[in-house]
Amino acid sequence: MAEIVLMRNFANADSHTLGAYRGGGGYAAWDKARQMEPAAITEEVKKANLRGLGGAGFPTGAKWSFIPKTHTGPVYLVVNADEGEPGTFKDRYLLERDPHALIEGMLIAARAIRCTKGFVYIRGEYVQPWRRFSAAVQEAYDAGLLGQGFDVVVHRGAGAYICGEETGLLSSLEGKKGWPKIKPPFPAIKGAFGQPTIVNNVETLCCVPPIIARGAEWFAGLGTKTQGGTRMYSVSGRVKKPAVYEAPVSVTLRQLIEMAGGVSGTGRLKAVVPGGGSAAILTAHEIDVTMDVDGLKAAGTMIGSAGVIVMDESVSIPEALMVLARFYAHESCGQCTPCRESTGWIYKMVHRIVERRGHKDDLDTILDVAKRGAGTTICAFYDGAVGPYVSYIEKFRSEFEALIPHA
Amino acid sequence: MPKLTVNGKEVEVPAGTNLIEAARAAGVEVPHYCYHAALSIAGQCRLCMVDIEKTPRPTIACNTVATEGMVVNTETDRVRETRKSMMEFHLINHPLDCPVCDQAGECFLQIYYMKHGLYDPRMKDEKVHKPKAVPLGPHVILDAERCILCSRCVRFCDEITHTGELGIFSRGDHSEIGLFPGHELDNKYSANVVDICPVGALTDRDFRFQVRVWYLDTAKSICPGCARGCNIEVHVNRRRPHHAEGRRVARLKPRFNADVNKWWLCDAGRYGYGFVDAPERLLMPARRQGGASSDVTWDEAIAAVVEPLRRLPPDEIGIIASPKMSNEDLFALRRLTELRGIRHVASRVPPRVPGDEDNFLIRADKNPNSLGAELIGLGADARAVIEAAGARRLKLLWIFGHDLLAGALPERDVLEALRVVDTVVFTGSNANWTSAHSHWVLPAAAWVEREGTYTNFEGRVQRFRQASEPLGQSLAEWEIVARVLAPLGEAPTATRAEHWFRQLASSVPAFSGLSYQLIGDAGHPLAVTGAASR
Amino acid sequence: MSHGQSRDASRISDRTPAGQAGLSDPATTIAFSEAQLGEVRRLQSLYPDARGALLPVLHMAQETFGYISLEAEEYVASLFELSPAHVHEVVTFYTLYFRERPGRHVVAVCHNLSCHLAGAPGIIAHMKRKLGIDPGETTEDGRVTFLTVECLCACEAAPMAQVDDRYELNLTPEKIDRLLEGLR
Repeated sequence: MAEIVLMRNFANADSHTLGAYRGGGGYAAWDKARQMEPAAITEEVKKANLRGLGGAGFPTGAKWSFIPKTHTGPVYLVVNADEGEPGTFKDRYLLERDPHALIEGMLIAARAIRCTKGFVYIRGEYVQPWRRFSAAVQEAYDAGLLGQGFDVVVHRGAGAYICGEETGLLSSLEGKKGWPKIKPPFPAIKGAFGQPTIVNNVETLCCVPPIIARGAEWFAGLGTKTQGGTRMYSVSGRVKKPAVYEAPVSVTLRQLIEMAGGVSGTGRLKAVVPGGGSAAILTAHEIDVTMDVDGLKAAGTMIGSAGVIVMDESVSIPEALMVLARFYAHESCGQCTPCRESTGWIYKMVHRIVERRGHKDDLDTILDVAKRGAGTTICAFYDGAVGPYVSYIEKFRSEFEALIPHA
Repeated sequence: MPKLTVNGKEVEVPAGTNLIEAARAAGVEVPHYCYHAALSIAGQCRLCMVDIEKTPRPTIACNTVATEGMVVNTETDRVRETRKSMMEFHLINHPLDCPVCDQAGECFLQIYYMKHGLYDPRMKDEKVHKPKAVPLGPHVILDAERCILCSRCVRFCDEITHTGELGIFSRGDHSEIGLFPGHELDNKYSANVVDICPVGALTDRDFRFQVRVWYLDTAKSICPGCARGCNIEVHVNRRRPHHAEGRRVARLKPRFNADVNKWWLCDAGRYGYGFVDAPERLLMPARRQGGASSDVTWDEAIAAVVEPLRRLPPDEIGIIASPKMSNEDLFALRRLTELRGIRHVASRVPPRVPGDEDNFLIRADKNPNSLGAELIGLGADARAVIEAAGARRLKLLWIFGHDLLAGALPERDVLEALRVVDTVVFTGSNANWTSAHSHWVLPAAAWVEREGTYTNFEGRVQRFRQASEPLGQSLAEWEIVARVLAPLGEAPTATRAEHWFRQLASSVPAFSGLSYQLIGDAGHPLAVTGAASR
Repeated sequence: MSHGQSRDASRISDRTPAGQAGLSDPATTIAFSEAQLGEVRRLQSLYPDARGALLPVLHMAQETFGYISLEAEEYVASLFELSPAHVHEVVTFYTLYFRERPGRHVVAVCHNLSCHLAGAPGIIAHMKRKLGIDPGETTEDGRVTFLTVECLCACEAAPMAQVDDRYELNLTPEKIDRLLEGLR
């Protein structure tokens, strides 16, 4: 049975309290980290092969080391708790069930990057998680864990998926619309309020205390050659037991679906979204892939936020694409032209197709427009939209064509 | 100073130069919308993509700093294809308003589509609809559908005027430029957003539906609205006189001058040309007798002015010039005062209400050539001349341009002066109370109808050029004075404004060394800035 | 019906519900109390640039005044030395700020992918029948504002909705009926 690391405390009903967290060994990693040099902490995280678990899969230790060594002003740690990727719900569990794990991870990360202030940006809809986490922060202050060289500001969002994009989040934190920033400069050089900033996902930071407590080699050994550890896979859609499942990152998609009780509905698998709504879809014949960053990249898709959405034979792929196209049109921030204009247009076309009012050129137009826009935008939101636009049509074209008169 | 290569051409640029400007230095135009040299980088339109060696994907040029050894290519197949895609994205929801849009002919969607697009449109769905024809303020009108959301106008109001009236509301393809509901775009530079809007989203209410831009001729000029002397272009409608009810000046636009106004023009200056085609224009020389006015010929009018000038002792002659006159006009007048020894000479009439001034472009002195008048020796306060007139010491009073009742001179003194002086001559472009109470009216051409130079408050001499013909029989002031000088025994050799300027430059030390050629289009500082010279 | 012109309930204008007939707005003075102003200043001091407190203060304004009117936007702008246009940008960008008074309860049903696969369209149709309004609208008695929203990240319990501050999971028509009954 694979080791449970991130969800180790969930079974305890009081897991969110300081007492229960400490009782389970919590904050021992922080005690250890306080004796370590900041650079040594970063080295440990690098050796552990921890990759970002919010979507981009960037090596976390490498990101931390981008903070300029010569910078004398403030450095900020910003936690991305703006979970919004369709099919993903792991951070919600961590915020509600193990908020102190995040606080401990923040303390250690802050020491590594020499930062005295951290902001936790929680999506506005997450009211219960916000209350739980804020209570845990208060406990930590009362216990003298926070406020002794590191402060935490909890900040609620106000409803915009784009605020889950690293620099969109920073703009929102600064009190503006969630418009992503043009890069360069990158956040590690010039981020929140113009200062060097590290933005990390909730789950990523929750991995840090175990890494420090039990060692980088142990963490690295749990996973693949290029990505260490376990992660929490959110499994939903047409499975018998939709839930969050922790597994080593070397787990295959087939294994995950089995963990979730297998396919429901007709019981026959048709397709799977492997990494949140923005990931290219995989067919039923493509599920023997390892669910790590490089494994899914090699398969032409991405692990992203590890939101697994299972579709059985009765699912209409054109309808599924319409739902996602509607989502992208609604969430496009509107800042740059290719995304702003084409997300709305592509939704209109897919909607028409689903309503059997498609034109025979529509599919090729959608593919061509999506491909022309890929890589041209300020942020990766549009590339996330392109994933479904292209893969759903290319892999299930006949299903779309069946809806188009005279296709 | 990094050296880089753009399309095979090597060029050296100052450190920190972005690739749009670096390409420009190499003679290469990189198409763009949201970039503007005066504003912060937005990086939103994505049109300025270029290929940089060793960079895997095309990159936006506006946000890329030129570095030593960089190799940039703006015409690869990939860049061309990307530009085409960007043009398509921009036009997806853009309404086909060209037939009714003022921007047609100078619209960068049209221009770049013809140059970089030329694809067959395939958007068959209903476009997003937004408010159209929304007045934002006294001068600017918005069509939100046409807007490409480049945010130049928003950044202008934030970064240049610091008034923050405009914003981009909502998100996605329902994003919309607008004002806070119920507010107005009424800062003193509001119409500059029309200049910087690449498309017909923000247009000029004064120019709306007046004339198509391809019927406009343009002349480089200087705004005469205050002592700043912002550089402008005068756009005249020469070829379609039946449009715009015969209005000749269609609009003014700012002209870039790094040392004076950069890219900008205040609203007061931009819209101050109305008097040029107003019904009050004086068209013919005229004589007023017994309350009635009758047209006369120039010969008659000149003779009527020459006669007292020749006959009267100099002490009985007063001249009130105007700081709105050009250097050439003022110098010609100075020749007259020197020739006849006239000492009651002035040009300054303080305003009744002090003019507004700000820390940007607007100067309180609403005259374009006060410094020129002062340096040429005609800058005294007109109060002394009016007092002399009222005390019956003057028999001839020649007034240029002023409406003497509109200034701060005591009304009683002005009324008395004009009542008792035997011969009052008025020279100006528009009728006013003073011209209505003068004995002789000599019509002057307006500033757009002739050329000349002004000296701005910083001592910069700038050329303004002729944009249209003088109305009626009006003449430039230097021409009128030349016609008076001739019968007085000094036939001027100057037959053009430039000749007068040459004489000015060789007579008044402050102007020495200057010439029209040196002044060029950007102006030139005085030899001795600010120093009075008599 | 062509999408672009439809009363698209998934649009940002979710939070400007129509159907407000009969809901008169009692005169509310748009001003924070001294204690609240102290809280505003405290929030502003948490950020390196005071503007960072704008979203939290707008949440405060919504809780205090019930929704964010134009007057409230101008008031908040004055607390931040921001132009009202820039506050309006923020209020119109985010979906959680109501620009007209919502019903006493807000029921936001997710219509994204996993919820769609789990039967969200049926739940939405049921709500429409039960309440007699479309998504984006408020019942005439001012009791419920009904919205459809994007992924609330509770896909393991689809179909689901956010009702006021809490998530209601694993919805069925019966659960909806009980839920609506409990909303006074």
